[in-house]
Amino acid sequence: MPTKDQIAIIGWSVSPMVRHTDKTEVQLLLDVITGAVEDAGISRADLDFTCAGSCDYVAGQAFSFVQNIDAIGAWPPKRDSHVEMDGAWALYEAWIRLQLGDIDVALATGSGRSSTAAPSSIYPMEMDPYYLAPLGADAVTLAALQARVLLDAGKTSERQMAEIAARNRSDAKSNPHAQVTGDFDVDGLLAEEYVRAPLRRHDLPPISDGAAAVIIARGDRAADLCEHPVWITGFAHCSESHYPGMRDLRQAGSATAAAAAAGIGDGPIDVAELQAAFTHEEPLLVEALGLSDEVSINPSGGPLAANPIMATGLVRVAEAARQIRDGGKHRTLAHATSGPCLQQNLVCILEGAS
Amino acid sequence: MTQFVESTVKFPYKRSLGPVIGEFMNGLANMRFVGIRSGDRVIVPPLEWDPDTGEELSREYVTVGPAGTVTAWCWVEQPTEAHPLDRPFAFALITLDGADTSLLHAVEADGIDGMSVGMRVAPRWKAERTGHITDVDAFVPGEDPVVPDGDLGPPEEPVTMMSYNASVTYSVPVTAYESNVRVANEEHRLFGLRCPVCGRIYTGGKGYCPIDAVAFTDDDEVDLPQTGTITNFTIITPVQYPGQTETEPFPRVFVLLDGFDVVLGYQPLVDCANEDIHVGIRVSARWVTDDDGVVMVWSPNGEDDVSDPELVNRIN
Amino acid sequence: MSTMPCAIVGIGQTHHKSRRWDVSLGGLVREAALRALEDAQMDWGDIDAVVLGKAPDLFEGVMKPELYLTDALGATGKPMFRVHTAGSVGGTTGIVGAHLVESGRHRNVLSVAYQKQSEGNAQFALGSGRGASIGAGGAFAPYMRSYIYRTGAPSDIGPMVAVKDRLNALKNPYAHLKLADITIESVKASPMMWDPVHYLESCPSSDGACAVVFTDQAGGDAAAAAGRPPAWILGSAVRSEPSQFPGRDPVAPQGAADCSAEVFRHAGITRPLEQIDCAELYVPFSWYEPMWLEGHHITDFGQGWRMVERGDTQLGGSFPVNMSGGVLSSNPIGASGLLRFAEAALQVRGMAGEHQVDGAKVAVAQAYGAAAQYFSMWVVASSLDPFA
Repeated sequence: MPTKDQIAIIGWSVSPMVRHTDKTEVQLLLDVITGAVEDAGISRADLDFTCAGSCDYVAGQAFSFVQNIDAIGAWPPKRDSHVEMDGAWALYEAWIRLQLGDIDVALATGSGRSSTAAPSSIYPMEMDPYYLAPLGADAVTLAALQARVLLDAGKTSERQMAEIAARNRSDAKSNPHAQVTGDFDVDGLLAEEYVRAPLRRHDLPPISDGAAAVIIARGDRAADLCEHPVWITGFAHCSESHYPGMRDLRQAGSATAAAAAAGIGDGPIDVAELQAAFTHEEPLLVEALGLSDEVSINPSGGPLAANPIMATGLVRVAEAARQIRDGGKHRTLAHATSGPCLQQNLVCILEGAS
Repeated sequence: MTQFVESTVKFPYKRSLGPVIGEFMNGLANMRFVGIRSGDRVIVPPLEWDPDTGEELSREYVTVGPAGTVTAWCWVEQPTEAHPLDRPFAFALITLDGADTSLLHAVEADGIDGMSVGMRVAPRWKAERTGHITDVDAFVPGEDPVVPDGDLGPPEEPVTMMSYNASVTYSVPVTAYESNVRVANEEHRLFGLRCPVCGRIYTGGKGYCPIDAVAFTDDDEVDLPQTGTITNFTIITPVQYPGQTETEPFPRVFVLLDGFDVVLGYQPLVDCANEDIHVGIRVSARWVTDDDGVVMVWSPNGEDDVSDPELVNRIN
Repeated sequence: MSTMPCAIVGIGQTHHKSRRWDVSLGGLVREAALRALEDAQMDWGDIDAVVLGKAPDLFEGVMKPELYLTDALGATGKPMFRVHTAGSVGGTTGIVGAHLVESGRHRNVLSVAYQKQSEGNAQFALGSGRGASIGAGGAFAPYMRSYIYRTGAPSDIGPMVAVKDRLNALKNPYAHLKLADITIESVKASPMMWDPVHYLESCPSSDGACAVVFTDQAGGDAAAAAGRPPAWILGSAVRSEPSQFPGRDPVAPQGAADCSAEVFRHAGITRPLEQIDCAELYVPFSWYEPMWLEGHHITDFGQGWRMVERGDTQLGGSFPVNMSGGVLSSNPIGASGLLRFAEAALQVRGMAGEHQVDGAKVAVAQAYGAAAQYFSMWVVASSLDPFA
């Protein structure tokens, strides 16, 4: 469905991505919000609506997002909301809000300090509370099961997975916001032990602390504020059922559906930034999104280079926008995901001025 | 060098199962796997709804298994406390005979080489079953269920609830500012940080001004007096919960510091009977040591009350 | 605003109780959702998008429950969204759902909010497991003390609200507390929990859920033509402000005033007491009724408690508040805000049964959260142009 008013990204900021930050989450957000408003050439006072994405369990505290408001400078009080989801969904809420036509500029943020607790202790808690959580079935386990399904279906190979790991971390060398970068020899990677067979360490994302902020503006205001607005021409998300044993793990049907609803077929894609936190998810998503060999995948290094949970998806949007504004590309795609085995998928399609 | 503070958030949750999950769990307690019919399919483990349409399912239960086929597996070389086994095992998706969806559970095979897609597995039951997904100790290769010696049978009453003991340990970096507060506490000093833009002074852990979104530096430090006046208060009757440390009604007071536009909120007050607490009492800080280290509490200092009823509005 | 009209055509809620141990998590939310779908004469397949809201996940120990509840709420193959704005979250859940229709993005949207707090412990969750948790009551008690002083309100006002709301709840089949014997004396005799707030002046801890179905103008008109009048959204607004800074007034917060100013502007309301027929306000502790009547500029400073004292806010009064029994009678924290919004909608649809305000055409609903710093409000009416 066409958007009533065109909405564009007019600025963004991505924090350094580190294994252990010594900053508070508020501090991380303070920095990226300041960075984003400066990038957009505005001030915090110009923000008409703000929406944050973060998670109490990642923060270790109920209502953790409340203190994060402090990073906005919400005085006078602001129109503001929060989602217990990745910042990419906070951006979606902001995008919907601007389409109501009464306000012009919105901020979306995503933040999280994953370093503070072992993922294996937290992530079972987002699974089925009766049948999965009590078994300690966490994200790595479920990803490994899906990897096995894809390997057996011939949709990927351990070698291809290692190549994806190597390529992402090599590409990440030119990304100042990446955490795990370098040149890795594929045979060397394949000689490593399994961590959760069939996954090896290189198949997993790093644990990262970080944040991102993206600013959008509506129609004429976007053009006034920004010389090179990056237009959001499609934005949709879709979910599948939860229990992995009830899904076809060879596909990412909700990613296909989200991409179709976002109008992926309306033109060629130059670059796709995919939230493929596990190596086997990359070919699965490339197929689900119907991306041709011409499409450059995760030139930023993707989540395999930095995975600030609750911000990873929003970082994909910022990177996809960067490819247009700073990289001369014309049409790019950002993808975000949530839940076991890519249960929920979001697709955002961006275009430069034609 | 960054220091870290560890804390564990743990709670014994109790979940009600409802009719369908209850049927499945009671099945487990009786060494039986129960699925639910949805159209042509048998859904295992059973849900109250069809996973694709959300339609409410009529309660047509179907016994499935006990054996099944592995359709996917992964190997857990280093189990954690959250896992069902304390030695290396596989997690697998298992399509029990008669089911159209697969169940996720543990498989104990003879090492990673004992696992394969397509292998047949059967449950090894626990001797003591409570109506919980772990009533299956693990699946093992083969066709026949393994029933333990000394099988205690199912619980006397049908099971309607399950327990879930959540425990997550967080290791949170102590910021430079928080370290400075700790050092100041140990030196019995109180300080605030003054915003270079608006001039407001903040205490209690905020290293930034939320109005101007400005982070503070050491240059913004301001020494604060340790005397003030109670402006507002409440007395809390404690409720018991796991982790609760209080047993008697305890006060929390607001203190407006002398000569500064700073109100400290929800401060502990000592040496004052709860019924004697009122707006206007003059207080001084005292330093005590508890599990958190040296902390500041307040106590009446004997000076005459300040008679300004407007003080009650100074909450911030 | 150039929003497209949005109608509420389905409302459902659970029977709120201290422990809904008869249902699973999925069962709880489906009870409310199925009632809403039935009311809307729709089934799961008619819904295009789902919005889920609830307060901290530490209450139940299920993180990001929208993942588990996707198929439970018929959202397989659809967008599923989860909002969390502290106590105001129920309101935000409704507003975000409505925006999906008002923006033209979706036609039929289901918003669901819930809390199954009996699975954990509210005081534990509010304090994140640390000792000496002061709870919400402890946090707000000083604000109430300040209100009482600055307005000179007599001490019976809080108890009067507590009695009114519980007697209203007797007329609401879904309400949690049924305290038929409650009196001002019994309230004042109940234990002091957070001085100056007594036990019977504070909200219960409830398990419960609420669901609302939104549709577009065509859907609303069709429901009206079929004899199922919808509630129309005249406006909505949200505000957040920082928790603490020197000089902040948490008793009559700026955010509260700004939020109501915006929603009244969108709704064409310039004289709230005259133009609005009734209100569902988030009152978890009795004194919040006069505080929000004033804080949201429904009435002037110092007049809120007078409205209570005169009986204006009684079910039969000139400005009924919390006809459903409010948060004081049922408080599944994450759902409470949406219950306010839903109850306001029930009123203008004429579907509030025994607790119906005769002839209610315009109603306001409000929810707030954290240190009285999050606000969400909407105004609903029986038509898009009730002041014409």
